[in-house]
Amino acid sequence: MTLRSPTSAMLWELWRVTRAEIAWKLALPIGLALTALGLAAAFGPADNPARYRSINDFAAAVALSLIVIAPLPGVWISMARLTGGQPGFPLYLGYTRPVRTAWLVGLPMAYLTAMSGAIYLASALVLRVASGHAFPLLPVAAWVAALTVVWLAAAWSTRNMTIQVAVAMLAVVKALGWAVDRLTAVEIPDGFDWPPRLWPALFDWPRTDYAWIALIGLASFGATVAMVTRQRRGDALVSSTWTPGGGLWGRLVGLFGVPCPTSSATRAQLWFDLKSRGVPVLTIGVVLASVTVLVSAVSGPIDAAWNADPTVSCPIKECFWVRAMPPMLTPFMLVTILFLGVNAFGIRRKQGRTYVSAFEAANAYGTAQVAVLKILAQSVCVLAAFIAIGVGVWISMPLLGDGVFIQMFGVPLNSRRSVLTTAFAALAGYEQLALTMVAVGGVVMAVAAFAMLGALRLRYSRLASLASFLLVPYGLLFVWLWVGVRGDPAAFSRLHLDIVYGAMSWSATTVMAITTVYVVWNGFAERVLTLRYASGAVAISLAFAAAWLTVVHMLGVPLTGVSATNAISVASLALLPLTVSVLAPWSYSRIRHT
Amino acid sequence: MGQAVVDVNDLSRSFGRKIALDGVCFRATAGQVYGLVGANGAGKTTLIKHLLGLLRAATGSVRVFGFDPVREPVRVLGRVGYLSEERELPEWMRIDELMAYTQAFHPTWDASYAGELIETFGLDPSKKVRELSKGMRAQAGLVAAVAHRPELLILDEPSAGLDAVVRRDILDAIVRTVVDDGRTVIFSSHLLEEVERMSDHVTMLHGGRVTLSGALDDVRHSYQRSRVRFAEHFEQPPVLDTALAMEGGGRAWSVVHSGSLERFHHSVLALGGEIVESRDATLEEIFLARAGRSRQPVEAA
Repeated sequence: MTLRSPTSAMLWELWRVTRAEIAWKLALPIGLALTALGLAAAFGPADNPARYRSINDFAAAVALSLIVIAPLPGVWISMARLTGGQPGFPLYLGYTRPVRTAWLVGLPMAYLTAMSGAIYLASALVLRVASGHAFPLLPVAAWVAALTVVWLAAAWSTRNMTIQVAVAMLAVVKALGWAVDRLTAVEIPDGFDWPPRLWPALFDWPRTDYAWIALIGLASFGATVAMVTRQRRGDALVSSTWTPGGGLWGRLVGLFGVPCPTSSATRAQLWFDLKSRGVPVLTIGVVLASVTVLVSAVSGPIDAAWNADPTVSCPIKECFWVRAMPPMLTPFMLVTILFLGVNAFGIRRKQGRTYVSAFEAANAYGTAQVAVLKILAQSVCVLAAFIAIGVGVWISMPLLGDGVFIQMFGVPLNSRRSVLTTAFAALAGYEQLALTMVAVGGVVMAVAAFAMLGALRLRYSRLASLASFLLVPYGLLFVWLWVGVRGDPAAFSRLHLDIVYGAMSWSATTVMAITTVYVVWNGFAERVLTLRYASGAVAISLAFAAAWLTVVHMLGVPLTGVSATNAISVASLALLPLTVSVLAPWSYSRIRHT
Repeated sequence: MGQAVVDVNDLSRSFGRKIALDGVCFRATAGQVYGLVGANGAGKTTLIKHLLGLLRAATGSVRVFGFDPVREPVRVLGRVGYLSEERELPEWMRIDELMAYTQAFHPTWDASYAGELIETFGLDPSKKVRELSKGMRAQAGLVAAVAHRPELLILDEPSAGLDAVVRRDILDAIVRTVVDDGRTVIFSSHLLEEVERMSDHVTMLHGGRVTLSGALDDVRHSYQRSRVRFAEHFEQPPVLDTALAMEGGGRAWSVVHSGSLERFHHSVLALGGEIVESRDATLEEIFLARAGRSRQPVEAA
C-alpha cells in the first residue's frame, strides 16, 4: 500500500479507526428500524384500518428516531477510545507530524461530520425503499452533521470533562428544541403529531436554517483549531487538567475517601472496584436524579412564563418547553448509567490497544472470585444509580403535573404513581419478593453480560466479529416477515411471526445450553470453577428461576399446556443466570490468562 | 542442583503468525539471580508473562513452585513479586493506597521495609500515581513488588526509567538482599553490563528460542574474543573453525569463538595467521555474536 500524501495517509488512518463503527452505525439502526416497522405491521389490528394506520405511522416515526438517534451516542466512540474516553484531541500522535493544526483538526472533523450525515442518508434511503415512507434526507442529515460538529468541538477543544459534558448537553437541548420547534409548526388534531404523510412539508426547513448550520460548523471548527493549537503547544493551562485517569472521572474516584482495608484481599479488591468504577457510576446516577428533581421543580413556572411571553413562539395552545425534558431524558439517563457500568472487568482501551491491566491480573486472587466480586460491586452501584434515578422521577411526577405532552398516550404520568403503588401493594409478599429478585437479577445479569461480551470480544476478536454476523439471519427473518406482512397482513403475519419467534427461541436456547455445558466442563478442567462455586451458582439460578416463573405467572402467562416454543422461551430465561454465572469467571479467565 | 522454583519445558507460543516462543526450556533454582537477555521481540516479556500465568502455554508446561500459574494463580502469585515493563499501576491511587492495596494480598508484607524503601527513593506517599514521573513509578512499583519479601522476584526491564544511582546502588542492593535470603530473582534487561554485574545465570533468547543458557561464569569462559593478524589481506571475513562473529578487515580481525580452542588455533595457522591476543568474551560480545549483528570494522588494517 502506498499513501502518496499526508492527506491520504490521514484519511486512511481515519478509515481504519472508524470503519467498524461505521458498519455498526449503519447496520444497527437500520435493523432496529426494520424490526419496529415489521412488528407494527404484524401486530397492528388489521380489522381496524384507522388504528392500524396510526400504529404504523407511529412505527415509522420510531424508525426515523432510531436512525437519527442510534448512531449518535458518544458521536464517534472509536475516536474517543484513542484517549481512553478522556476529552481532548484524540489524534494527538499527529502533533509531531509536519501538518498544520488547522488541517490536523479540519480533516478528521470534516470526515467524521460528513460520515455522520452520510450514515443517516444511507439509512434513510434504505428505509425509503423498504417502507415507501418519505423519510427526510437533507434536512435531517444537516441537523445530524451540525450536532456532530458541535460535539466534536466540545470533545476535542478541552481536556476538562465537565466543560465537555456541559457543552454537549447544551447542544443536545438546543438541537432538540430547534427540531421540536420546526416539527410542531403545524398541530395535528386528534392524531400523532408527525405522521409520515406530512414529513415532506414538516421537514421543508428554510434556507436560513442551513446558513445557521454552516455558521455553527465554521465556528466549531475555528474554536477547535484554536484550542487544539494550545494543546499541541503543551499550554500549561490546558494540559494541567488532563492526565490519564484524571478529569471528571478522576475527581469522582477521589470522592470515595474510605482507606483501603489491608485485613483481607477480598476487602481490598472490593475497595478497588468500588472506588475505581462503582462509586463514580453511583455518583453520576445521584447527580442525574437530583437534576431531574430540580428541573421538574422549576419547569412549571418557566413554562408558564414562556407561554405567557408573546415573543416566544408557541404554535399550539400550551407548549411544554422544560416540562418535557425529565420524561424525555429519563430513558437516556438509564442508558447512560448502564453504558458507564458495563465495563465491570476494567478492560482498557488506548490508541487502538485493548487490554487488561497486568497490575490487576497479577494479583494473588482467584479468577472466579475476582470476576464475581467485580460484577457484584459494579451491579450494586448500577442498581443503586437506577434506584436513585427512579426515586428522582417518582418525586418529579407530581411536580410535572398531568400536562398534554405527558398524556401523549392517554395516560397522565402523575396518575401512574398511584396505579403503580396500588398494584405493588396488591401483590402477595412472595410476589413482591419475586418481582424484586427478577429486577435485581436482571441488572446483575445485564452488567455481567456486558462484562463477559467485552472480555470475549477482547480475547476472541475475530470470532466475535464472525459471531456478530449471526445477527444477519435474524435481520433477514424480520425483513422477510415485514415484506410478507405488507403483502397480506391478515394471512401472513401470524404464521411468519411464529416462525421467526420459534427460530429465535430455539436457536438462542440451544446456544445457551451448549455454551453452559462446555463452559462448565472446561471451567472445571482449568480449575476456574470449583464444586463450591458451581453449587452456589446452581442455588442462585434455581432461586431466580422460581422468582421468574412466579413473575411470569403473575403476568397471566399460563405455565401449563403451552406450546413447546413458549415453554422453551420461558425456560431459557430461567437458565440465563446459570449461563451467566459460569460464563462470567470463564470469560474473565480468558483475558487474565490469554 | 536445588529444587526448581521455576521449571519451563518445551514452551511454545504464537501470536497469529508470529512465533513468540519456540520450544523454550528454562529452569531457575532458589538463591540465584537469572538474567534474561535478548533483542526486542526475542520473547523475554512473553516468557515472564507465562511465569505469572498472564499467558497460557500453547504447548509445553510452566511450573512455578511446582504449580501451574494459570490453574493455581493464588498459590503462585502470592509468593511472587512482579515489576512490569510498562510500570502499569492504577493512575488514581495514591502511593500509600497502592501499598495498602498490595499489602492486603500478601500477609508477609513488611511495612517497615516498604517505608524504608519509600524514604530511600524519596517518594511522597500522598502523591497519586498519575502525578509521578516514569522513574518514580518504577520506584513505587519496585517497592510494591519487593516489600512482601517474595520468594520469587520477577523484574521486567527494571532499569528502564531509573537513573544511574538508583540503578547501580539501590536496585543492586535490593536484588542482593533477595538472593542473600535464599530467594530467587529473574529479570530481563537490555543492559548487558547490568546483567553481567547482577546475574548468576544468563539465558539468551533470540527469535523465541533459547540460544544460550547457563551460569554466567561458565558462559563467559566458553566464549573467547581473539585478535588475529594474517599475512594475507582478506576482503571478506576468513572462514575459521568455531568462529561465531568477526569484526575488522584486511589483515587484522577480531573474532568471537567458542568450543575447541585448539581447532580455532589450527584454522588460524592454516590461513597463515597468528593470534595476537585472546581473552574471555564479554556478555555483550557474546550477545552480538549470537544475535548475528557483529560485522563492523573495529580497526584499520
